[in-house]
Amino acid sequence: MSLLGIILTFSLVDNIVLSRLLGICPCVGSPGGMRATAGTSAATALLMSLSALAAWALESFLLRPLGLEFLRTPAFVLAVAGLAGLLDVVARRAVPQLLRAAGIPLAGIAVNCATLGVVLIAAKGGFTALQSLVVGLAAGGGFFIALTLLTAIRERLEVEKVPEWLRGLPLHLISAGLLAYAFMAFDRAFLSRLFQGW
Amino acid sequence: MNGPSTRSGGLFRNNPVAVMLVGLCPAAAVTGRVIDALWMSAGLILVLLLTRLSLEILKAFSFPGSGTGHMTDWLSLLFLASCFTASFELVLGAFAPDESAGLGIYAPLIAVNCIVLDRLAGRGSQEPAGPGEIGRSLGQASGLGAGFALSLIVISLIRETLGSGTITLFPIGSFGGTIAVGGISLAPARALVYAGGGLLCLGYLAGAARLVRRVKGAERA
Repeated sequence: MSLLGIILTFSLVDNIVLSRLLGICPCVGSPGGMRATAGTSAATALLMSLSALAAWALESFLLRPLGLEFLRTPAFVLAVAGLAGLLDVVARRAVPQLLRAAGIPLAGIAVNCATLGVVLIAAKGGFTALQSLVVGLAAGGGFFIALTLLTAIRERLEVEKVPEWLRGLPLHLISAGLLAYAFMAFDRAFLSRLFQGW
Repeated sequence: MNGPSTRSGGLFRNNPVAVMLVGLCPAAAVTGRVIDALWMSAGLILVLLLTRLSLEILKAFSFPGSGTGHMTDWLSLLFLASCFTASFELVLGAFAPDESAGLGIYAPLIAVNCIVLDRLAGRGSQEPAGPGEIGRSLGQASGLGAGFALSLIVISLIRETLGSGTITLFPIGSFGGTIAVGGISLAPARALVYAGGGLLCLGYLAGAARLVRRVKGAERA
């Protein structure tokens, strides 16, 4: 698959939130505004791409050659947690004010199912190192699109008159469901006609 | 809280999916068929119970970092949960390969399920882990696991019945495992088995749980 194909697939067609249904909790439960959304998405995309690359290295040089594929889950979980801890330390030293302002919960991102889900998809897809990196970035981009749309919908719904028993998270989940139906329009065949040869 | 009341709390009053709204990803993703919901619930209950039991045993032997809330505690929790998840994947793949394929990447994701991590990481108690403490901890875990299973079964029954017109269970003897629901199977609402259907059902279930709590609260008042 070409890099454009990977980007379109993992950001729109196979959107990690609206198609794979991973990372729903941070998307519908995050109370932050657009600034926090951008920060969380950027951190998630960075962590996803680095984790996908680390997973590729683990799979290619350790798990598959030694026949240890059954240890994939613990190896990937610990790799993601270690990378998140490392990123957290680096970010706290390099851009502490940005972290505080955006309110990016790196520890939470580290172990959410979206990050591990992308890592598993990339590892099982048989991608190269560069493709794995792009898969992570594209999935992070898809996460950004979903999170931005859901934050915008949530901000709009807060000022609307809605049934009291649905106010808050139940209505956010229903909105996410309707958005997931809308994303079904990003069909692989439709996009392949738009971008011949992707 | 003692054991039985904790169990019923996790099942209804503090249901993890419908009330506490954690562990939403598998509740929306693997509820297209009842059998997938059953296997996912079984996996989560096993991992939750085994991880909590192991942590309590480590605490009883004063393993460094256990129960202190430090980074080592967090990493040991992640390591234990992911090892038990990998074991569940292996057993499921060996005995029920079709169901294992049905769960796909959601089986390994039990390791980072919010219910497993939130409820276990939130403990960090310094109390010595006696038999009573272990029993109470396991009672709480089994209540949460049962609550998760109940929510998944309800959502999957609604989605599969209305969306496919069938109920898929375990094949036993001459019973193939699939029950066709008369009438609906001829013209099912296919939209419910897609990704959006899972989120819609989850949203309405959470809303219904809130409505029930309000009605009960008003009755008590």
